[in-house]
Formats: sequence, C-alpha cells, structure tokens
Amino acid sequence: MFEACTDLACDNIFALLNQGPLTLTIFLHTVIIIPMFFIYFQEKKRLQEGKEEPQGEW
Amino acid sequence: MSGKKVSVWTSITFWRRSAAWVTGTATVLLMWLTFNTMGQIAMGSDEDLQNGVTKRIPAPTVINYKIDYKMDEKRGHEVPVIGEKQPFFGKEWSAEEAAELLRHGKLTQQAKNCMNCHTLLGNGAYYAPDLTKAWLDPKWNDGTMTGITGKDTVEEAMAEFLMHPSQYPTHERMMPDLGITREEAVALVAFLKHMSAIDTNGFPRNFSQSAKRLEGGTHAR
Repeated sequence: MFEACTDLACDNIFALLNQGPLTLTIFLHTVIIIPMFFIYFQEKKRLQEGKEEPQGEW
Repeated sequence: MSGKKVSVWTSITFWRRSAAWVTGTATVLLMWLTFNTMGQIAMGSDEDLQNGVTKRIPAPTVINYKIDYKMDEKRGHEVPVIGEKQPFFGKEWSAEEAAELLRHGKLTQQAKNCMNCHTLLGNGAYYAPDLTKAWLDPKWNDGTMTGITGKDTVEEAMAEFLMHPSQYPTHERMMPDLGITREEAVALVAFLKHMSAIDTNGFPRNFSQSAKRLEGGTHAR
C-alpha cells in the first residue's frame, strides 16, 4: 500500500500522501467528510431534544 | 427522547454547518498547499550549485555547467545531472549576467511565441519538437547539428539554427524564420539550457529513449 517516495521532496506531507493518482484526493475527502458525521449526529441530538431550528436569514 | 423521529437532512442548520466546514477546510488546505508549493518551486541559488544541493529548479548560473541526464532506477525515470563547469558561449556568466540572460530568453520566447508550435514544460503545442529537454537532444551533442551548422559548440550551433532555421531543414515540419537576432538567440539558448536542468519528474517521459527511437527529437512525429 505504501511505497517509497521517489520525488525530490520526500520530507513533505503532500509527497507522503501522494502515493498514487487518487491517494491525496481520497485522503483529503476523508478528512473533510468524517467531521460531517459528527455535525450530523450533533444536529440529530439537538433536534431530538426538541430544540427549535434557529431562524436564519436564508 | 432519543427515539424521536427527526429529519436531519431537511435541517437547514445541518447543511449550513456542513457548508461552512467544507468551505473553510478547503480554503485553509488550498492556502497551505499554495505556500507549500511556492517553497518547492523556488529557484535555487548559485551557492546551491556550488555545494551540490539539488533543487527542482536550479539557479540561472546552471548555464555555466555541463548538463546531462541519467536513468534513476529508484525514481523510475530520467533525471538531469549537473556536472562540471563548462564555458557557455566561451565564458563563465556571473549570477547577475545569467539571471539577466535568462530573463531576456524568457521574454524572447514569449515574444516569438514558441509555444504556438513547441511544448515547454508541458505547455504549448505538439506541432514541433518538445523543447523542455531540447538542450539534451542527442542530435545537438553527437556532432550532427554542429556539423550541419559548421559550429564548434552546441550553444553556437543552436544559436545559428535559431537565427536561420529555414537554412537547416532538420524536421519535416520546417521552422519558419522568426527574425531572431544574435542577442535573442544567445538568450534563448540559455533559456533552453536552464530549462533542461529543471527536474520535471521525468517529463517528457524518458526523453532520451524517445529521441533515439524517433530519430532526431524528443517529440512525436
């Protein structure tokens, strides 16, 4: 799964993550999506506790 | 209350918070990536060259060195090798002179619209040979082009070709005469030599193999 870095800049976090054509993309999407589960369950709990939806301007 | 049926998907707060999170994180990531890249693509210095520090983009004074390439087994492609000192147009250029020459070469390259036919570092057209590693094309170094142009060195042969391309039909698609002056030709050759020393992660893919196979150019016919 992990191969030796062959770029010039191997001490770079993006070089480490960029193992193949999609690895960086998949990693960044995962990092972005996982906290959305937390947001989802937090909102679910708030709604189940019967709190009002805050009325935004949009 | 935990079993109460609620619809999170229709909750505007959920979507608002999600949108804020995604936009905010992506913004921070892109800013990080931008600054990270700027460090990676920064040009090296003359001291780096003297001390053998490998930079992706070497200093302009790399024109004072012999540039070669070798197959790097670990990286799986050819990498430029900066060798011993070699006079460029018969002299050693100072850091200021080399920087000014490269700048002139870049401006000439833009003014003459080389990219209208050629490719430079992946940008441009595929009508004429790829210029990214043109300096390393064996035809300039094996005596073919120096013989045709009657010059002693690669840089003189290249400058002569650039000034009078229509006199040297080296390719089935002949290069037109662009009215390049002697100064512009010298600057362009410096620009090409510097570009060949840039570590492009093997682009164009194994150019020496293509040059051999395609007879006379690091390009597809």
